[in-house]
Amino acid sequence: MIDPVLNALITRQNPDGGWGATQDRSSNTEATSLALSALKSIGARSVDDRIRRGALWLTAHQNPDGGWRLNDVATAGSWTTALAIIALSAFPEHQKRVHDGARWLVQQEGSAPGILAKLILWARGKSNINELNNDLIGWSWVPNSFSWVEPTSYALTALKKVRPSLSDDNLNERIRQGEALIYDRMCKGGGWNYGNSKVLDYALWPYPDVTAVALIALQDRAAEAANQQSLNALRETAAEANSGLASSWAAICLGLYGQDTREWQSRIEKSFEKNGFLGETKTLALALPALAGMANPFRI
Amino acid sequence: MLRRDFLKYSALGSLYPWVPGCEQPVRWQRDAFRKKAGSQVAILPASRYDQPLKDTIARGIRICGLDVKGKRILLKPNLVEFDPKGVINTHPAVIEAAIDSFRGLGAAQVIVAEGPGHRRDNEYLLSASGLYDVIREHRVHYVDLNTDNVRATPLRSSFTALKQLYLPESLYNADLLVSMPKLKTHHWVGVTLSLKNMFGVVPGIVYGWPKNILHWQGIHKSILDINSSLPLPQFAIVDGIVGMEGNGPLQGRAKNSGVLIFGDDLVAVDATAARLMKIEPQKIDYLARAGEFLGNLNQEKIQQIGERLEKFQQDFAVIEDFQNLKKLTS
Repeated sequence: MIDPVLNALITRQNPDGGWGATQDRSSNTEATSLALSALKSIGARSVDDRIRRGALWLTAHQNPDGGWRLNDVATAGSWTTALAIIALSAFPEHQKRVHDGARWLVQQEGSAPGILAKLILWARGKSNINELNNDLIGWSWVPNSFSWVEPTSYALTALKKVRPSLSDDNLNERIRQGEALIYDRMCKGGGWNYGNSKVLDYALWPYPDVTAVALIALQDRAAEAANQQSLNALRETAAEANSGLASSWAAICLGLYGQDTREWQSRIEKSFEKNGFLGETKTLALALPALAGMANPFRI
Repeated sequence: MLRRDFLKYSALGSLYPWVPGCEQPVRWQRDAFRKKAGSQVAILPASRYDQPLKDTIARGIRICGLDVKGKRILLKPNLVEFDPKGVINTHPAVIEAAIDSFRGLGAAQVIVAEGPGHRRDNEYLLSASGLYDVIREHRVHYVDLNTDNVRATPLRSSFTALKQLYLPESLYNADLLVSMPKLKTHHWVGVTLSLKNMFGVVPGIVYGWPKNILHWQGIHKSILDINSSLPLPQFAIVDGIVGMEGNGPLQGRAKNSGVLIFGDDLVAVDATAARLMKIEPQKIDYLARAGEFLGNLNQEKIQQIGERLEKFQQDFAVIEDFQNLKKLTS
């Protein structure tokens, strides 16, 4: 099954060297980073030229300040910077770019409600509608908005990967607070959704993809009770979703935690046979290392 | 009481968004909007999802005078999340009937497009909701608006501090955008209908999941800026066969309403849908402001066609914060 998935992924590479979200879309940093990580992880010489062209696209889309733009249209530094760092950290020749990106990432902070907003919420009786610690700072999807689980998790994974070789005064504190934020956002019973465990007294449910991404970011704290509880939530929600994306994330995550991934590999194969993952590059790129079970691009 | 006093008497009261009675500045390009003198909204009965809906939807399109011959139609349902016990999304039977109807009326192309606000897993959302079977059986192209190519679009109103939004290219490649919301109450803005449904066109790959920048800018304000800046004509088909009351848009209760609502003035459609729920549209900030420049809100400016509104009016429960919306003045 690896070959059909690999073929589907490489045929989606655009002439400019990058990948779009699907075959008919322009290249973007998320799809290109994940595709590049996937191809690099399988270590096949036959894709060397694909990797070279993908890395060229990615390096050409780093902004002078170190951040990565999403694509040729949305050119401000974006949340996809963390994924570009993860992808290029497998290329020793790009270490400077990786460090520039990581320093940019350390400077990015999600916003907490200001004093005025807090007063208004308090006046409306909604000062704690989601029962979160809103003072914790992680990473947001776009500047000037709240911190959310998925961008915070990508940032943590990227920064933990480069931590041994990067010197930055704020790095460890940003990682510490990012971890605190992720644990704070955990759903009751384990697992994560986009970042609200509760709204207006109603408990919200976890999503398998976000749960896996968060657990990957916290893989160096595997023994924590919250991690173990969330691994169970991951298995349950991924089985319920039964999609290529959920199963791929589950296999990658559970593999990092040293667990058997055969059930998820089987689910990935069935999903691919059924609908080709709807042609989505992201799922193809995650399925490839998940099926290959080789060097995991998300290992810290 | 303490909090109320604080709001009433403190200087912060002046910063509270849209305090009733305050003069509001004009925040839209005056020459860009020509509100119609009157609008038509059709209410048609449809009691169940397992009955043929194609003829009803085709009739709704026809009696609204919409010509779709040769046009590229983009159907935008509400597919924000999935809960097997809930009624969150536009029912796939309504989407299926809309596909058939637009094709039957001569549309050149029909696509289904959505940018779910919470989940990134399209395969799961489409399969679980039942929409995957519809698009496969009818060979309809589904576009994930969250990851579509984007184009920088200047805003034609300035309720938010945003100057532009990146919007999906698919909007620029269609001739008509059909908003297909569920008839629902909403715990932040009162109701979520065809205007609020347009949050789904904002691409997650730029703005994230959830599209939180829109919340930071203010949900009411964002609804106005998005709808004022869409690059193509719109039409609305509201799935009110089974609606949602209470703590919507996700965790409310199902409410059988037995209607589909149609119209080419989305403000008039949403105002009518709100009245159908016995909710006063004038008291909903974004609808009240939209009624000033985007479309008709006042009942006397809306010609009801099809069934009479009163025949299907039901009392939709709202959360405690919105009890004031239940005092109908129109």
